[in-house]
Amino acid sequence: MVLLIKDEYPEKLFQENGKRLDGRDKKELRPIKMEVDVLKNADGSAYIEWGNNKIFAAVFGPREVHPHHLSKPDKGILRVFYRMATYSVFDRKRPAPGRREKEISMIIADCLEPVLFLELYPGTAFEIFIQVIDADGGTRCASTTVASLALADAGIPMKSLVTALAVGKIDGELVVDLSGIEDKAGEADLPIAITWFNDEISLLQFDGEMDLSELDTVLKDAKEAAKKIYEIQVNTLKNKYISIQNNIEKEKGGED
Amino acid sequence: MEEEEQITQEDDEFEDEETSRELVVPGEVLTEEVQDFIPGRGTIFNKDKTKIISLHIGLKNINKNYINVIPLRGIYTPQPGDKIIAIVVDKNPVKYKCDINAKDFAQLKPRNTVKRMKSRMGKRNYEQDDLSTEKFDIGDILIVKVLSADRLNKPELTTIGKYLGKKNGGIVISIDPPKIPRLIGRNGSMIKMLKNLTKCNIFVTQNGRVWIKGDNIAYERLLIEAIYKIEREAHTTGLTDRMQLFIENEKKNRGIE
Repeated sequence: MVLLIKDEYPEKLFQENGKRLDGRDKKELRPIKMEVDVLKNADGSAYIEWGNNKIFAAVFGPREVHPHHLSKPDKGILRVFYRMATYSVFDRKRPAPGRREKEISMIIADCLEPVLFLELYPGTAFEIFIQVIDADGGTRCASTTVASLALADAGIPMKSLVTALAVGKIDGELVVDLSGIEDKAGEADLPIAITWFNDEISLLQFDGEMDLSELDTVLKDAKEAAKKIYEIQVNTLKNKYISIQNNIEKEKGGED
Repeated sequence: MEEEEQITQEDDEFEDEETSRELVVPGEVLTEEVQDFIPGRGTIFNKDKTKIISLHIGLKNINKNYINVIPLRGIYTPQPGDKIIAIVVDKNPVKYKCDINAKDFAQLKPRNTVKRMKSRMGKRNYEQDDLSTEKFDIGDILIVKVLSADRLNKPELTTIGKYLGKKNGGIVISIDPPKIPRLIGRNGSMIKMLKNLTKCNIFVTQNGRVWIKGDNIAYERLLIEAIYKIEREAHTTGLTDRMQLFIENEKKNRGIE
């Protein structure tokens, strides 16, 4: 079988002028756009465009658990279903959920659980359905970010929002927000999720090689970058209501 | 047509004098002056008790020294004594299963649907005690009262009481349960206005369902539109006046009355 485009990585991940392949600086994020309340039938929903990633999240619950044996008598459970569309990556992805999807579903559930009050809803389940329409590196971080937004939109009591992003090392330089190609060809990749309640780290995965001193620096960078994403999350949630208020005031002004 | 009872005991929280129009999101710091304030509904201390933090997306509200957050989205939690609209979804010889828009299905036992007569001369009147689930069918709309509810067990319902029982005719629509106080208005001002202007019977319940019945389908359609508009704009100011204007304008445009 002939592959139309060779799956080769570029030799250098930096341009001659010091910028990255997509023209970003080392600590610059990809453009992020978020939206809430995009799906009518879900209790809460959100959509994110993070660079080339396009992801939907829908929240249902609290509701009955099926199969029933998964329910716990003393607390509710959080179930996450992370799925990728067949056309979301370059080679067609087989639609059956594989090892990778199950792992990502689990880590997203684990990193969102500390902010929820599951003990208030015994015997029930919260379910988050995440559908990746387009993938280009860092989907697990983007999914976590959008899932927490959908939970907040559903009106579920939460201690705080959760923000996630990937940091890493490419060509010996520490960078923020790895894209798909940097993720594969780079030296180290470190997805990290932060809950803003007490500023705790909720997820930390690591893949590659890095010094301990570099790890400290990169964690600091991650927190700074996460603050920028958090602001977008807060503004997205508030804008849904503020825009209605503004429209009314505009109409009023028009009448006068 | 019989006059429906209004449920107006809930005050309009959205229009309290001290309710600021400040929107907050989960995790947002409401205040750092923990000596002066106590966390109320929808709020929590952080770990070191140096900040008070919001749990919902909602409006910040200060009542005496309590800080509350009035949620804008959320689910209905049944409380004993609530009068709500239930839909029968299943039945077996010993109980009905009802959808009450909460996390659990509620159950209605036949002994809570018939009024027991006092035993006369030590004899029970067995004809009155029809303890089988023949009274209602699947899909019926009932107005029920919550007998018991907690977070562990299924809520139990009853249809014995004034204005309770099966509803024939009318339309049931659903809105977000946290926005019900806004639909009622302070001391029922909003609901009275809607009733007078559209000549419909309205029954508002705490689980987010509204039963309406009017003489004229045109009025009913206008009322449904108005209720959805209230739901959408629940967090804004001066809603009652604006709704009155909206209905009067729409009446002229549609040529009804």
